[in-house]
Amino acid sequence: MPAAVDASKKRKSIKNAGAPSKRRAVAEDDFADTLSTIEKLETEIAEGRKHYNNIATLISMLNVDKAAKNPDLAVAVSLCRVFSRLMATGTFVESSRAAENEKIITAWLKERCLEYQRALLVIMREGDTTSQITALTLSMRIIKERITHIPGADNNVWSTSFKDIVEAVIEAHDGQDLQTEFITKFLKEFEDVRYHAFGQISEYAAIRRSSDVLDSLTTILSACDDVPAEGHKFKNFFATPTATNKRITSVNSHKKRAQEAWLAILRNDLSQAQRKNLLRIMVHHIEPWFTRPELLMDFLTDSYNAGGATSLLALSGLFYLIQEKNLDYPQFYTKLYSLLDADLLHSKHRSRFFRLMNTFLASTHLPAALMASFIKKLARLALNAPPSAIVVIVPFMYNIFKSHPTCSFMMHRVINDKELAAEIEAEGMDDPFDPTEKDPTRTGAIESSLWEIETLQSHYHPNVASIARIISEQFTKQHYNLEDFLDHTYQGMVTQELGTGERPLKKTPVVEYQIPKRIFTDRMLEEDGGVDSGPGSFMRGLWEFS
Amino acid sequence: MPPSQLKQLKASLRDSGVVGPQQSKKQKRQNAKTGAAAQNRNQRNAALQAIRDRFNPFEIKVPAARSKFEATTRDGNSTNATRNNRPGVTKSLGEERRRATLLQEMNSRNRVGGLVDRRFGENDPTMTPEERAAERFARESQKKMRKESMFNLEEEEEEFTLTHMGQNLAFDEANRDDFEMGEMGNDMKGEDSDDEETRKRKRFIDEDADEGDYVYDPDAEDQPDRKKSKAEVMKEVIAKSKFYKQERQKAKDDDDDLRDELDQELPDLFEALRGMKVPAKPEPVQQDLDTMNPERAAMLQGPEKTDTEKQYDQRIKQLTFDARSAPTDRTKTEEEKIEEEAERLKKLEENRLKRMRGEQVSDEEDNEEDNDSFMQDDDESEIDDATAFGLPTYEPREELAVEDEDDFVIDDDLVETRSNASLDMDGSDMEEEDLSDDDESEQSEQEDELINGMSLPAASAASTAVAANQTSDGKLAFTYPCPDDHEAFLDLIKGVPSQDVAIVVQRIRALHHPRLHPDNKAKLGRFAEILIEHVSYMANEDEELSFALMENILRHVHSLAKTHPMNVVMAFRARLREISNDRPLNLLPGDLAILTGISTVFPTSDHFHAVSTPAHLCIARFLGQCSANTLSDFATGAFATSLFLQYQAVAKRYMPEFINYVLNALCNLAPTEPTAKLGFFPSRKCQESVRLSPSKKVTPRKLQFRDITASPSDSQAEEELKISLVTTFVSLLDTASDLWAEKSAFTEIFTPVQAILNDLKQSFKSKTFSAARDPIQSTLDKIASHLDKARLTRRPLLLHDHRPLAIKSAIPKFEENFNPDKHYDPDRERAEANRLRADIKREKKGAMRELRKDASFVAREKLREKKERDSEYEKKYKRLVAEIQNEEGRAANDYEREKRGRQGKR
Repeated sequence: MPAAVDASKKRKSIKNAGAPSKRRAVAEDDFADTLSTIEKLETEIAEGRKHYNNIATLISMLNVDKAAKNPDLAVAVSLCRVFSRLMATGTFVESSRAAENEKIITAWLKERCLEYQRALLVIMREGDTTSQITALTLSMRIIKERITHIPGADNNVWSTSFKDIVEAVIEAHDGQDLQTEFITKFLKEFEDVRYHAFGQISEYAAIRRSSDVLDSLTTILSACDDVPAEGHKFKNFFATPTATNKRITSVNSHKKRAQEAWLAILRNDLSQAQRKNLLRIMVHHIEPWFTRPELLMDFLTDSYNAGGATSLLALSGLFYLIQEKNLDYPQFYTKLYSLLDADLLHSKHRSRFFRLMNTFLASTHLPAALMASFIKKLARLALNAPPSAIVVIVPFMYNIFKSHPTCSFMMHRVINDKELAAEIEAEGMDDPFDPTEKDPTRTGAIESSLWEIETLQSHYHPNVASIARIISEQFTKQHYNLEDFLDHTYQGMVTQELGTGERPLKKTPVVEYQIPKRIFTDRMLEEDGGVDSGPGSFMRGLWEFS
Repeated sequence: MPPSQLKQLKASLRDSGVVGPQQSKKQKRQNAKTGAAAQNRNQRNAALQAIRDRFNPFEIKVPAARSKFEATTRDGNSTNATRNNRPGVTKSLGEERRRATLLQEMNSRNRVGGLVDRRFGENDPTMTPEERAAERFARESQKKMRKESMFNLEEEEEEFTLTHMGQNLAFDEANRDDFEMGEMGNDMKGEDSDDEETRKRKRFIDEDADEGDYVYDPDAEDQPDRKKSKAEVMKEVIAKSKFYKQERQKAKDDDDDLRDELDQELPDLFEALRGMKVPAKPEPVQQDLDTMNPERAAMLQGPEKTDTEKQYDQRIKQLTFDARSAPTDRTKTEEEKIEEEAERLKKLEENRLKRMRGEQVSDEEDNEEDNDSFMQDDDESEIDDATAFGLPTYEPREELAVEDEDDFVIDDDLVETRSNASLDMDGSDMEEEDLSDDDESEQSEQEDELINGMSLPAASAASTAVAANQTSDGKLAFTYPCPDDHEAFLDLIKGVPSQDVAIVVQRIRALHHPRLHPDNKAKLGRFAEILIEHVSYMANEDEELSFALMENILRHVHSLAKTHPMNVVMAFRARLREISNDRPLNLLPGDLAILTGISTVFPTSDHFHAVSTPAHLCIARFLGQCSANTLSDFATGAFATSLFLQYQAVAKRYMPEFINYVLNALCNLAPTEPTAKLGFFPSRKCQESVRLSPSKKVTPRKLQFRDITASPSDSQAEEELKISLVTTFVSLLDTASDLWAEKSAFTEIFTPVQAILNDLKQSFKSKTFSAARDPIQSTLDKIASHLDKARLTRRPLLLHDHRPLAIKSAIPKFEENFNPDKHYDPDRERAEANRLRADIKREKKGAMRELRKDASFVAREKLREKKERDSEYEKKYKRLVAEIQNEEGRAANDYEREKRGRQGKR
């Protein structure tokens, strides 16, 4: 029982003197005393209104000081019980016929209740994890009681008390666990809580917020990923809504609220990392909530124009818009082509990008010159790429060659013009491809050849080399499934070569037949006439081993 | 209504030309002359037979149903077969055969004995009498030719003696000599014995004379009473020659005996001549003990004499089963040896080149398999495209060139003694040989010790001995146990000065040579693994790293790799795995040492190799992903890059990570940041600047292995290290441009390099870098010339000069002469199985029919026999009855007569 423990701790801090055994006994006594006191006060409140002053006593016992480090949770729980009971008995309901003193009492009680709620909020913001969670549970409980037992209070409750709770949750100090608790226990459980939370968040995020806050907002929002389908019947309510409130049972209004919340966040001042993160979850978590995805357009185009990894990530969202909403993106391929830069093949979003690019370039109606530019640029990049990227590029090219046979001049070009042939024979040639040209239709790539890939046929890794060799073999295969080539890594390749454990090899590997005379030193150099040749001489020439 | 049978017969006779207009005499004569008559006769016989057959409708089986219309799908053979069916003939043939076989069997049942005709070909109906006779003759002569027994003296004389008038022609003289010799021999034997023999022989001859079995009688010649027949003469001659042959043999044996005796006495004779006494013979066993096989020596010295003898007998018996020793190869001359060695090396080099190109080396079958694995991407059923490539290609294997497997001498230059294990390595070859000889003598000493003392010392004993040895006089122990793990090895070499570790290693190898004990092979394998571990341990831990020692150990590992390839390979792979799992991006000095070791122990040029391929990957991964922030990081990178170039010194493969790393490093080390983006390599900035910013003049030096770990002491040293790194990287680029000059994308690879080097040159304008400017300039020049050449040699790619693929045909395969009875099953195995099944069915049916027919035949025969028996019985019975009735009748008649007589009397 955490409350009990806390209580005893508190006592301990007060009374530090005395022998250990004695102290424990005293602490236990104190704890028991407190419990009994609370119980007594609580029962007295239940007996009648003359003991209502005990509420004030209890609230004072709640001990919410500035630090709010050690709130007495037992008191908080008992207070919650007290208020719930009072609400259930209808003491909070104000009737017009009631006497003046009745009204005064009700107002006083309401004031105490608000005070209690404020105290809970303070605990949520500042307390330690356990008390935070308890406070959250208690305040949600109070909300529930208020909505159920006080007629006509729900709008008010949702817009004030709940707003405070949401804010407290978001701004809570060390609030990870509190947020998770809020998400799992309330947000995901109850659809009306979610609905109202969306509203509160969109209001909250309308103002510029700090990046920590935005992070937690994103976490909370992205946790709500079960978008209600069309015609979904809402059943899980935290507090049964009044019949008049139609909006809470319509899918559209839910979506609209969520959309507003997301938009509020997207419009906020996002850091680069946050932007990337949002882009990453864009397709699966954000877009489904949007009834009007075109609202995302600004955000996506801005991100796409930002360049680098952000552009890569924005691609998928943009593609969604282009596909679904007829978004017209001028110079799309030029932009796509410009994404092929030195870092692309080393980026960790490489496979994501290739998946999308495969979709974008799938059309057979694209001009061959454009495709050739993409091929040639990728080939150039492959010269500086890790093996896992080369392994994707070559089958990708193969597929393009299959669908755009005009491009296959890049692999096989017979020069029929006699003069030109003679000229090339005499003077050689430059690569007609212009790597600096921005427009993919004007790079001259289709006049070029894939010398890069031919060079990669002598890649140090045998598997990569044999993949590079497919472009010089007959194109008998219809299509390479790109997905099979995408997610290779150094670690994977090494593991594949080395295996995970000691398994005997099928064949005995060859051992160099000649034992070299020297490896590091100048051993027996005289024998070779003082000239260091033979294996390893290169290393010895560059390095000094002593 | 068809015409009558007679008319039909006449018509058919006329048609077939059997009867016709009579021929004139002239015609007949002419026909007889040309041989047409005989031909005509044959024709006529055939025609007659055909007519006979046709007119005997019961001989031919008529098919049950009327023949159907001709159709293409009908089986032509079967209709023909029915037309030619003649059940009567076949039935009678079968009957005949059964009578010949089954009936014989039946009759001979329950019988024992009898005569079997074993004459060759007697009951073979396929042979004509002439053939039979010829075959028999051939067999007989063969039998004669074969020399059945070495003591059979007959045949030659019998076969090849030429006679004239009963006299031997050719061997007359020899016979005479023999005869005279015989006479002499007889004389020598003495009178009485001679007489005795003569008498005996006479009696013998008398007894056997009529049987014609002649034995030579020397006296027989003296009685030329009657003229001998030719056969008799022959026999006499034979007998004579046999006799003399025997005599000769005997005389020779006697001579041999005598000579042996004399030979034995010869030493005595010498002794007598010299007048000295022979010293007692030394015991041969004692003397030989050292040189002979120790096992045998132990056996001879063993206490149990009888045991020894028994063993000896056993050995002798075993020896009889030993294979005969084959002739050994001729001892080769020195030139031949050299030539052979050169040949071998050439072959190995060729194999290496083949492996480099990824071809198969030894077995052709593997080659096919390999092709298959490469062609798999055609396969539609391939599920994962990548696995077709990801599958490890078949690694080529080559017969290991194991030279030192059976030689006790470890590779000569691995043998280190104390003098040349020390760091001054100036021992010439001659010295080395001497030393190794010394070493061998040492080893023999060790062996002596082993023989005198106990067997191999137990590990603990040895280690204490080691300790004792070392403490007492600082000398090394001669025996070391083979360590089981690295800790044990470290214990073993604790206190051994590092230059002596080589000797320890070598002694362990010598002591545990596989020939000395069967377990040693495994032990040495383990030892090789420990050595590999030790190499990385040394590089990591040793403050005063002795490269001479490391080199020595690596060479030991290499030599062990030839005999224990699997252990060494697995150990290296384990190290690589550890690197890739624990620290792929910060290599330790030990890892670099391991990678260096791989570059010497294994052929790094192979297209695929179980060790060097992952080693490449490790280097590439490090170069591609490591964070280079400090100078020692860059030093590690420089080492790794130079290692890579050494790996590819022969195969000249391309590594993108190399270029990326070197260019990045140069950009980071350059005194000023490059202004523009210079290439397609991803740039990585160091977190803190490592740019060159010297205050004084700096000169590049050769990089040291130590730079990888140690950080420079002061800023001047730091700058010096930086500039040395720059020059090293530049020279690496220089080498790389040489290596990859032939690559078709050389221009694309080295244009950024050129740009960066130019940039570097610009930033090195300050006087402080004057020493580093020259190498940069020379590299730039070289790259520029290579670029020019690359431009000149650049041609558009012509990769698809393949033979155009045949368009896949969708036309069904037509069979030219389709036969519905035949099965055109494309699956050969299934077709074969079906055929066999049909065969079995047919055979089974045939066999059942035959058995049924046999049974009915047997039943019929039995019935016939029974009937015969019954009728015989009946006959006999009737005869008896008749006899009895006869007798009764007679008796009745007599009685009647008697009665009548009596009545008459009355």
